[in-house]
Formats: sequence, structure tokens, C-alpha cells
Amino acid sequence: MRGAVGVLRVAALALLAVGFVCGFFVARMVVRLDRIVVARFEGQLFRVPSRVLSAPTILYPGLDWKRVDLRGGLVRLGYRESTGEDRLEPGRYRVDGLEVRVFLRAFDHPSRPEPARDIRIHLEGSRIERIDDARSGRELGAVLLEPELVGSYYGPDREQRELVRTDDVPAHLVDAVLAVEDQRFRAHVGLDPLRILGALWANVRAGSIRQGGSTLTQQLVKNFFLTPERSVKRKAQEAVMALLVEARYDKDRILEAYLNEIYLGQRGSTEVHGVGEAARFYFGRPVTDLGVAESALLAAIIQSPNGISPHRAPEAARKRRDLVLALMHQQGRLDDAGLTAAEAEPLGLAAITPEPREARYFLDALRRQLPDFYDADLLTSEGLRIYSTLDLRLQKLAAAALHEGLADLEKRHPKLKRPGDQALQGCLVALRPQTGEVLALVGGRSYGESQFDRCTQARRQAGSVFKPMVYASALEPRESGAAITLADRLEDVPLRVPTPAGPWEPANFDHEFHGSVSVREALERSLNVATARLGQRVGIERVVDVARRLGITSPLPEVPSVAIGSGDVAPMEIARAYATFANGGIRPEIRTFEDVVDREAHTLERQAVRFERVLDPGTAFLVTSLLEGVVERGTGQGVRAAGIVGPVAAKTGTSNDERDAWFAGFTPELVVVVWIGFDDSRSTGLAASHLALPVWTRFVREATGGQVRGAFLPPPEVVSVEVDPLTGARALAGCPAHQPEWFLQGTEPTRVCPSGAFFDGDGREAPRRLLEKLFDAWFGDDGDEL
Amino acid sequence: MLALAAFGCAGVLGPGAGVGDTFRLSDHVSEGDPAFRASMRIVLDGLDADLAGDPDLALVRYERSLQVDPTNPYAYLALARHRVEGEDPESALPFLDKSKALLRAQGALSPGVEAHLDGLRGAALLASRRRTEALPLLERARSLAPEAWSDGQLDADELR
Repeated sequence: MRGAVGVLRVAALALLAVGFVCGFFVARMVVRLDRIVVARFEGQLFRVPSRVLSAPTILYPGLDWKRVDLRGGLVRLGYRESTGEDRLEPGRYRVDGLEVRVFLRAFDHPSRPEPARDIRIHLEGSRIERIDDARSGRELGAVLLEPELVGSYYGPDREQRELVRTDDVPAHLVDAVLAVEDQRFRAHVGLDPLRILGALWANVRAGSIRQGGSTLTQQLVKNFFLTPERSVKRKAQEAVMALLVEARYDKDRILEAYLNEIYLGQRGSTEVHGVGEAARFYFGRPVTDLGVAESALLAAIIQSPNGISPHRAPEAARKRRDLVLALMHQQGRLDDAGLTAAEAEPLGLAAITPEPREARYFLDALRRQLPDFYDADLLTSEGLRIYSTLDLRLQKLAAAALHEGLADLEKRHPKLKRPGDQALQGCLVALRPQTGEVLALVGGRSYGESQFDRCTQARRQAGSVFKPMVYASALEPRESGAAITLADRLEDVPLRVPTPAGPWEPANFDHEFHGSVSVREALERSLNVATARLGQRVGIERVVDVARRLGITSPLPEVPSVAIGSGDVAPMEIARAYATFANGGIRPEIRTFEDVVDREAHTLERQAVRFERVLDPGTAFLVTSLLEGVVERGTGQGVRAAGIVGPVAAKTGTSNDERDAWFAGFTPELVVVVWIGFDDSRSTGLAASHLALPVWTRFVREATGGQVRGAFLPPPEVVSVEVDPLTGARALAGCPAHQPEWFLQGTEPTRVCPSGAFFDGDGREAPRRLLEKLFDAWFGDDGDEL
Repeated sequence: MLALAAFGCAGVLGPGAGVGDTFRLSDHVSEGDPAFRASMRIVLDGLDADLAGDPDLALVRYERSLQVDPTNPYAYLALARHRVEGEDPESALPFLDKSKALLRAQGALSPGVEAHLDGLRGAALLASRRRTEALPLLERARSLAPEAWSDGQLDADELR
């Protein structure tokens, strides 16, 4: 007896010890899991990639709606076409003959909100004739479409979500989710024994795993903390953590976390998480606006977002949506009328709008322009909204122009075709010259293959695109007067300049010398020797100074050859310098974004329009006029051949051994620079007019419709005078040749043609000459003989 | 306010010899091509925002108007006025320069708008403590447009 009691005591003690040890380990595990739960819930619950948005499209009477792709823009923004007579609601549009009625959604922004607005756009041909407020009938001068998504700064997981608060989520969406995923959510403590038993029974009957018994809390825990592995240990951890979450946090907090976490589909390579993002993705509208049927559809696809994707398997999705509606009805969450109405609704999906792939280089350039504070970690987690300057229409055109242009070049010149990472490369940047806004940027042929941005990070030999800076420095007035006028002549004869590295003897592209040439001819034909001589005359120090003022920041060697573009510069610098010419000598600050807004709608950064006068307007105009000549008569004639009409000023640039091909040019409202070449600087064997110009014209023709708006207007500082093109003398009556030429006031030629004529120097012909002219008029040729 | 005080102290307040009606942007809203007209409507919206005490929205409107027509001289004028009222009045100078260059090139430089260009330049310079340069400009503005410039500043409604 005593022995038996002893054995029992020992056994009890052993059990106690085992229990104690087990309890210790269980307690330790619970404490560890609790720490994990608390760390996540008390810290940053979600990492939300920051989004970059485009500049808004502005609609106004007179605008070419086809060129701005009005309908495409609405579709990309998730607007849905309404065909019936039903009342329009925000995010819908209806096309009725020559009228487009759009219910613009409200645009939420801390400093520039826009209200939702029902508008009528009256069309006439390809133009917008009038825009009215549909409610009041009031005519509107201009309306803004919301900015479009340009891209996001993702972390390694490529998850995108739009965080929502439970207060913002419609009750019927919550009802739908609970009806199908966890109907006793409000009652259980994280685990639902009834649901587990029900699922067990269903699976036993089916002979396979058909149903899960997980509550929302368990699903959340699984997604937050655990791997998808199916094991007893993982299941136990899930159960303990679900209990811990429920013990620590209230139901609304858990539900909010769930609604933001749940995976709901795939936009290309990006995962769509949470109901906020899913509402935008599937319906193109904020979650607050979702109806019952839409809410039921979102709840329906939680089970298998890809298997029953409404886009790929609409019938399956609809079937399950109706099941969710039936469950809502059964559970008293939806009345009879609501059920009937919701079941009758179509899926109502917005078009799939994958993130544009063309703007990746721009996203990187923007990131580099943000202050250092905005590091990768912050941008990939804080869910900022960055309103950029990018014009998505131009960006798409730029990407297409470069890709198609390069492919076309390889087709026409097979020697340019190289394998893989040795392939012919290029870049294109487009700016608005007055404000410095980057409208389009394509830094290379394929971002996937090379993230190196050749427009902002590469330094390539400028070649002749640098020459306008030499002419600007020569034309700019200074104390001793400008070095040249446009009527002067330059000597294109052999030049030998001693340098520490030995004599420098520039040659022309055609290896010929052209003797005495006009200033215009020298630039239009891109003559190296005449320009090098001009550089010597002006002084290289001064040329470099002007280049610096115009926006060239790369190191420039103060050597004679810098005048013909021996310095290495980034295409963006050239774009800025040319923007300064286009902007009448006012240099804009390059601007890639307008502002940065955080999740709480605070504006964190603002990049205002800024500029500075760095060149007098007269000189800027004279250089522009020279560059117009390049397009009309010189190496840029291909612009006209491509069918582009209107004011265009541009310059080709081909570096030594044809390693770099440039075409930099501008219209009154757009500066575009194209660079083409190989990354390893091997020779292309072709001039810029064959390489970069076709890409430039392809883009500008599409961007402007081939008809460039505006004009290069002369400032009052310049005057037009008739000159003799051969001598540059003022051409009076009797001079065999006349040509109008621009001069800075006070620099007009004092010599006259014919040389015997008399001119009083005040812009008026002297009385004697006037009498002679009258005499000529009265007596014709005979008068000359008198 | 600094501009107003200094202007007043300089003793140049008083009746001036105006040359006509004060120049107002709303008088020019139906000129030009469609882009210019749309741009002008947005500039006026900006001035309305300024009047309603929302300078941030006003700034965005002015910049937006340049998106529609970057050669609209009045958009630069409105931006200059906005900057003169802001924290860095001297930053208005290049905007005035740009506005004037465009007005001259477009042949639209009238005494009325010149009064605003001079007055705003004067106000910007005065706020930057460049009195010697500022006062003659303010005086000229006052003489050209006494109704708008008698107080040494240009309010949004006076430009509108």
C-alpha cells in the first residue's frame, strides 16, 4: 500500500514537473509571441509604397480632345462609361454624340482640393467647343482631370495598398466580408470552435480539405506573422497569436488591420492589398463609394483573388458574389429589395490600368531631386503622394519615339545592332522652358536591363550642341561691345592653336575649309573651324562662363576645343541651357515635382517655379534666330522634312568619331533633347542628323500634332535691318542682294551697300539718297545715267 | 506692410496724375487664343483664391495657368504679386522681368500694366531694403495708376 502511494506520489511529482516544464515552455512561447504581436501592432502596421502622380490634364475650350486622348484618360483614371439614361455619379461618364458628360470625382489635396463636379463637354470636330457645369449650366473656363498614377516606390515585396479607416468603409462591405469569412467575428475570442467543427465536418464529408475554419483574426495573424506552411506547430502558433491579438486589441482595430492587409489580386507584378486599393483597382473609385454588389464582389474574391479574378473569370466571380449576397441575406445583413437589386447589377469593373512602365527613369530622377531625408526606406513605407510634373501623354510618346526610333535605326543601319548590354542606347528629355518642368524623361532603352539614366547621369561629349553657347558669348553685349553681329563674317580657314599638349588644329566634319562664311552659315553648317576661331576671339574663359550661366554644371576644361563641344555634359544640362534660350535668357530651375503630401494630408515639400535671368533677352533671341536657321537651311532640315511646321529652333551635335549623336531643339513651349550612342563609347559611324534627329522629330511631331503653337517673338532690344548677305553691310536701294537680319539695338551695320551710298546712321537714309530714289522712281533707269 | 510703411514714410502718398483706368486682368480674359483665354481664367481663379485668403491654392492656380499657356505674361504678373506678398519678395523680380519681356514681345505693354510692373518691382525692392531703387518705381506706379498704387501695394482685387 505504502509502495503504491509512493509510486503515485512519484508519478504525480513527475507529472507536476513535466507540467511545470511544459507550462514554462508554453508560457515562454506565449510571451515571445505576445512580444511579436505587440511590436507589430504598436509599430508601423503597414509599409505603404509612396505613389508618384502625373500633372493633371487640363481641359478647356479650344483644346484638341483627340490629341490629349480624353477618353483614354478617363478610362485610365478608372472612370466608367455609362450608357443608359441612369443618373451619373462621380467617376462615370457618358458619350452622347458631340457631348461628353463627365461626373468628375473630388480631388483630395491639402492645398488644392477640387470638388466633385458634373460637367458637359461639347465637342466640335477634334476641338472642345465649350464646357458647362451640368447642374448650373454655367460655362467653365477650364477643368482639371485628376492626376494619373505614374508609379510607386516599392519595397522588395511589391505590395500596394491604400490604407482605410473602418469609419471610411461602407457598412455593407464589412457585412459582406463578415458574412462570407467570419460571421461570428463580433462574438468569438479569436478562435471559433463552431466554425472549426463545421469545417471539420464538411471536410470529412467531402473527403478532402474544402473549407477552412479560420477566423478573420487567424487569417490576419497568418498573413502578418506566419508562413503559409501547413503544420501543427504553425497552426498552434496561429491560434495562440489570434487569442493574444483579441486579448490586446478591440474588434474594430482587428477588423481595420484585416481590411487593409488582405490580399485581393494582382496588378501586373504588384500585389493589391486591402479593400482601399482593391476598390481603386477593380472599380476605379474610393472604397467609400462602393455599393452593395461591388462590396460583395470584393468579399467574394478574398478566398482566391486570382482563381476567381473578376477580370479573368467573370462568371466564377459573379457566381461567388451572388453567394456572398445570399449569405448576407440569410444572416439578416441585406433585405429582400437590396438582394434583388444587387444581384441584378453587372460586375461593373473599371479597365485594368497597369502602372505605366515608361516612367521608371523619371521616378529615379525625381527621387534624386528629393531632399536626402526621403531615403528608400521612407519612400517605400510611408505612403506619400508625390505630385510630379510629368505629362503622361508626352511620356508615353517619348518612350515610344525612343524605342521605335532605335529599332528603326538598327533596321536601317544593321551595323548599329549589337547584342545585349552593348545595344545602341539613347535618351530623351522634354522640358517646359518657362517653368523648367520635366514633362517627359526616358533615360534608356530598357529600364529592366539598365537603370542608368543617360539623360541625367551620363556625361557625354557635347559636340556641336555646345556651339550655341559660343555664339551667345560672342553676341552678348559687354562694355567693349558684342564681339560679333549676325551680319559679320567668320573665317573658316586652317587654325593652329598652341596648347600645353601640343598644337590644336580643328577640322570640319567634311574635312574641308570654307573660307569666309557668315555667322549664320557657320552655325547652320556646324563649321568647327569657324566656331573654334570665334571661341578664340571671345575667349574660352568667357565661353565657359556663359555655359555655366546657362545651366551647364559639369566640369568644362578651359581649353580651345571646348568651343566645339569637347566637354562632357549630361543631356539634362543641354536641355536646361536650351530652355534658357527658349525662355528669353531666363534660366529655369529643373522641376520634377510640385509637392509631397503625407498620409495625414500634410504638405511636406513644395517645389515652386523658380528662375533667374542669366542672359539678356536680345542675345537669347539672336541665338534662337540662328538655331531657327539650322532648321530652315542647315543640319536640322530634317525637322521640316518630317512635316513639322511652325517655330522650331534646334542644333545637331556629333562628337569625335561619331561616338555621340545629339539633337537639341525647342519650340516656344517645349524643349527636347535626344542623345543616341553606345554606352561603351564606340563609334556609331553616323552623324546626328541620321541618328538623333529622327527620334526627336518622331516625338515632337506626335506631341504637337506637327503644328507647333506660338512664335519666337523678338524683344524690343533687337531690330531687323536689311543687309547685304555677302558683306554684312546695310543694304540700301541699289544693293544687289537683300536679306533681313536681326541686330541688338545700336549694333546695326554702319557700312552700306552699295558702298557709295550715303547713310546718316540713324536708321534713315540721308536726304541726298532719298532724292536719288525719288529721281529713280520718276525717271526709271534713265535717272541713273543723269 | 513694410512696403506700405516705408512708402508712407517717404512722403510720396497723395493724389497722383493717373493716365487712365487701372489695368485689370479681367478686362483681358477674352483676348488671344483658346489656351491664353483658359490660362487667364485660371489666373483669375488664383486671384479669387488669394482674395479668399488661400495663398497656397492661389499659387497652384497661377502655376497651373502656365501649364496651359506658358507665354501668358499676366500669369507671371500674378505670380510676381503673390511673391511680393510672400516671405521672399525679392524672388518676384525674375517673374516681373519675364512678364515684361513677354508683354513687350507681344506688343501688349500699356501704361496701365507698366504701372503694376513698376509698382510690384518697387514693392519687392523696398521689402528687400533697396529703398533708393524702390521709391522712384513706386512713385511712377502711383502716378500711372493712382487708384491701385496710392497705398504702395497691389491687392489681389486691384489686379483682378
